[in-house]
Amino acid sequence: MRALYPPGSDPDGRAFVLDESEDRPVAGPTRRFRFPHLRLGTWLGVVIMGAALAIACVGPWISIHDPNDFSSTVNAAPSDIHWLGTDDLGQDVFARLIVGTRLSLVLGTVAALVALLAGTLAALFGMASGRIGNLLVFGIVDLIRALPGVLFALALVVAIEPGTTSVVLALGLAFAPDFARITRASYLQEAARPYVAAAFVFGASPVRIALVHILPNITGALVTQFAIILPRCIVLEAVLSFLGLGVSPEYATWGRMIASASSYTEEAPHVLLAPIVALSVLTFAFAMIGDELRRRFDPARRRIMT
Amino acid sequence: MSLQLLKPVVAGLLGLALIISPAVADPKYGGVLKLYWGTLDTTDFHRHTGTISLTHPFAETLTSVSKDGQPKPFLAESWQISSDGLTYTFKIREGVKFHNGDTMTAKDVLANFSRIRAEVKKGWLTSAMEPVDRFEAPDDRTFIVILKTPFSPFLNLIAEAWILSPKSAGWDKTISHPIGTGPFTFDSWTPQVVLKGKKFSDYWMKGKPYVDAVEFDVRELADASLAVRSGDLHGAEVPLSKRNILGEDKNVMLDFRGDTSWYFVSFNNKTPRAPFNDLRVRQAISYAIDKPAILNLSAGESGQLVNQMAAPGNFYYDKAMADADPHRQPNLDKARALLKEANVDPAKVTVRLIGEATDRSVAPIVQMIKRLGFNVENKAYDDLGYQKALSGYEWDIFPGGSGPRNDIFLRFVRLMSDGPNPHLWGGVTDLEFDRLVREASISVDDTKRRALYLAAWQRVIDNYYTVAIGHTPALYAYRKELRDMSIGFNTSAHRADGGIAFAWFDR
Amino acid sequence: MMAQLRGISLGIAAEVLRSFAIAVGIVVLTFFLLRMIPGDVVDVIGLEGALTYEQQANLRAEMGLTRSWGEQFWLWLGMIAGGDFGLSSRFAIPVTQLIGAVLGSTITLGLSALTIGICLGIGLPVLAAIYPRSAFVWLAEAITIWSITVPTFSTGIAAVVVFAVWLGMIPAIGNLSAPALILGIDIAGSIAKILREDMKEIESADFIRTARAKGLSRTRIVLAHILPNAMTVTLALVGLIFSNVLTGAITMEIVFGRPGIGTLALQAIKGRDYPLVQTIIIWLGIAVIIANLVADIAQRFVDPRIRLR
Repeated sequence: MRALYPPGSDPDGRAFVLDESEDRPVAGPTRRFRFPHLRLGTWLGVVIMGAALAIACVGPWISIHDPNDFSSTVNAAPSDIHWLGTDDLGQDVFARLIVGTRLSLVLGTVAALVALLAGTLAALFGMASGRIGNLLVFGIVDLIRALPGVLFALALVVAIEPGTTSVVLALGLAFAPDFARITRASYLQEAARPYVAAAFVFGASPVRIALVHILPNITGALVTQFAIILPRCIVLEAVLSFLGLGVSPEYATWGRMIASASSYTEEAPHVLLAPIVALSVLTFAFAMIGDELRRRFDPARRRIMT
Repeated sequence: MSLQLLKPVVAGLLGLALIISPAVADPKYGGVLKLYWGTLDTTDFHRHTGTISLTHPFAETLTSVSKDGQPKPFLAESWQISSDGLTYTFKIREGVKFHNGDTMTAKDVLANFSRIRAEVKKGWLTSAMEPVDRFEAPDDRTFIVILKTPFSPFLNLIAEAWILSPKSAGWDKTISHPIGTGPFTFDSWTPQVVLKGKKFSDYWMKGKPYVDAVEFDVRELADASLAVRSGDLHGAEVPLSKRNILGEDKNVMLDFRGDTSWYFVSFNNKTPRAPFNDLRVRQAISYAIDKPAILNLSAGESGQLVNQMAAPGNFYYDKAMADADPHRQPNLDKARALLKEANVDPAKVTVRLIGEATDRSVAPIVQMIKRLGFNVENKAYDDLGYQKALSGYEWDIFPGGSGPRNDIFLRFVRLMSDGPNPHLWGGVTDLEFDRLVREASISVDDTKRRALYLAAWQRVIDNYYTVAIGHTPALYAYRKELRDMSIGFNTSAHRADGGIAFAWFDR
Repeated sequence: MMAQLRGISLGIAAEVLRSFAIAVGIVVLTFFLLRMIPGDVVDVIGLEGALTYEQQANLRAEMGLTRSWGEQFWLWLGMIAGGDFGLSSRFAIPVTQLIGAVLGSTITLGLSALTIGICLGIGLPVLAAIYPRSAFVWLAEAITIWSITVPTFSTGIAAVVVFAVWLGMIPAIGNLSAPALILGIDIAGSIAKILREDMKEIESADFIRTARAKGLSRTRIVLAHILPNAMTVTLALVGLIFSNVLTGAITMEIVFGRPGIGTLALQAIKGRDYPLVQTIIIWLGIAVIIANLVADIAQRFVDPRIRLR
């Protein structure tokens, strides 16, 4: 199962395209590995991502405090013992930030995966089941997109018992429509290509065409979308935690840190700034990587990414 | 006396007048008072669902709870209670006018009480109306209540039986525009945004109120202290944590509410599952809870460590009982010993704990229980969610709190087996406890009543139904230019001996 | 020409029908989803121990909450068909009155943000294209990057801290300029991003080089060729921007303590005020659908490429 047209080449069949940023031709189909020449922004994104992953994996071992250990040194400024100070319960901010990194990445990934699976499967199902199925599935998709994400997620979390499962489910459902639309659009575009017609003429069944020929070619778009939705999941989770409806309170997510710190902005501003900066930096990293992915996978089509 | 002597005397008198005049300055009229003082939940005051902070400015009651928790005359000038405690005779104040110009009589009072008793099937006053046999209004100034059994909290409870004009729109169904006797007329209400009132010129306290109008900000604000410091609000309830910062601000004055909120850790008493039905396990957990630390984290220096529902200063508080509390300091060794004795291995037990999502003291309590070695499943809900979850009784421990009440009876009634919403305390089903509380409520003798309530609470302590951690007050902040403003025993903004009718702007 | 018109009208008709179906879907979905939420308004009333369980049961029967969902649904449908959206179960005030009281505030915020967003989002890229070596290029890039990286939620909180608490420049509660600016920049970024790419693409296209060779001024070229494209793009984005503005407004209202649909909805969900939550979600959903529909129709007329879809 290999893609017939390597990413980066023009859908009309030309051998090479102009790379926007460099204004010189990049060689077409090639299998040799070339060290990726990336823009500064992208490099920053990759480095930050790497750091975040490293922190998430190793972090809990390197911080000296338990993130849930309360103490009587409340709202303390950064010091030798508490590298980023303490919050209103005397908990070490640095330790909580690290746990928050891991939580954000894990929660975000799982939620985005749920969205990916739900969206893609729903889209494929809809497209495969004729006129009515199509209308139904994509009607629901548009319905969910029409509702403001925050309210939708809020209502869902309150409806299902609050906790990690409901948050992940709510986030996944809230973003599934984005994947459904991308799947549908990419699918239709690929299906219009001559090789699909050719395969059909040669007797391949629609299912085989879908799985063997089309799916590999739309993974690029899906991966790009994944990179865009993931940070949105993280932010939405932060908003939910801020409103008091996030995951179980034991988990020190950044949203919860922001919520509790926002009452003490004068006494301990660093406690509020830390998770905000962390959130912004991680979102930046994802955005840069997502941008680069989009540049590689569909430079010609303009996908509206908001 | 010669003119020579007169001059220094007059100068001296003038000087004296200048020195003491700021202290006895005359209140000035005018201004619009902006306050953040709680919220309003309905225009039909008889059907209120728990918030009483903003009703008194518009409609008043026969009695008013003063700062020390005792009922003071308000619309009732005086009252007499028969020696058997069954008959209350109220002398209704003369010359009190409703906002529409009508004079309030005992007949209006009777109409209100009858409406509450007959129409309002939900609400705080249901328990007050239960022991009532009948009402009488033999003349315009006398209102009589005859009870079936004595009921000691009655006078405090009717401080929430607002007297409205029967001509108020919607009297037969749901009042949409309340016409009361209060210092301000009910001008407009945008729910969860703002509540406005205009000065009532015919108010029975002559010369009051001093301000022209009042605007209550009824949004849900986490922290109104900033608005008070910047002058956007003249007075507000503010978080305790801002006590120090506000204390340093020279433009702001601080005040504490009379009645406190109390915090506790309840066990499931209705359907306790092993091992929490073993008293030793409950004792062990109580030894693990670090009460001073919890109080410090939630209330700083304003918290009081008390193992009872009544705080020091309250008539029903008992110092001996408080001193005898073995859990004033945590004792993990003793806790572990008790668990061993009960043959319980905490590592094999998962404690199901329910908490309210924004309650910051839940996390430390979870940690304390974990220190004992238990596993904790911590479920956090929003305001309503946790109440619903608690009433399902699929839990073991609930750390919670409860706010101010006009009478201690309203706190005890929640732990009775047929009480309202007993699930916050695990659904206590103790018939002896019920008996003691009921006897206390019908007792006319203060000393006997106190002893009965204390006996009832001793049962709670001995059986570890709920473990009281302590009490915290509520903090209020006023601008310096707002004079003579105060908060009383409960959250109400207007009382017989203080509140917004007495406040004025010194400009 | 006639064929084209017919094509357009058929397309529009199809879209209208589809939107209507989705609107109906929203109505049904909201109703039943909300009923799934544990806890109802009787719990709110019984909060803090006012009612015994028996009293609560009686009250539920009185309020009609014990009837089957299907029954309740038909009753409610009948009501809204007549324009009556019911009373708030918490305040016993018509839902439409509650929404109306705060709608203006949300619309003000939304419109302000939209205006700032469109002005900056179109203006900066255009200026950047006309003056390719100026600070506008840098500004356009900065706004683009800012909007895709920093979440408005955290910017809002930081803004409250910095400008209200520390600097005292804005009131802590109810400020308009700060959230409007933050949301506006966010919107501007999304628009600017697409426009910048468009412009770069078109820049290098042959006809531009020809025009430049012929001596047309840069400004002329930009305005004549690129601006119309900007319109198309913005129209295409309108639907998305609209729902972004709504979501953004909701979060911003909560963070900045402004009255509005956002805070109203949040309190309504927390207070299990079904009639209010239902009506808000339905109105918002339908508003988004209408916005998308209008944008879609406008696009069909403006952009010849889409006509034949």
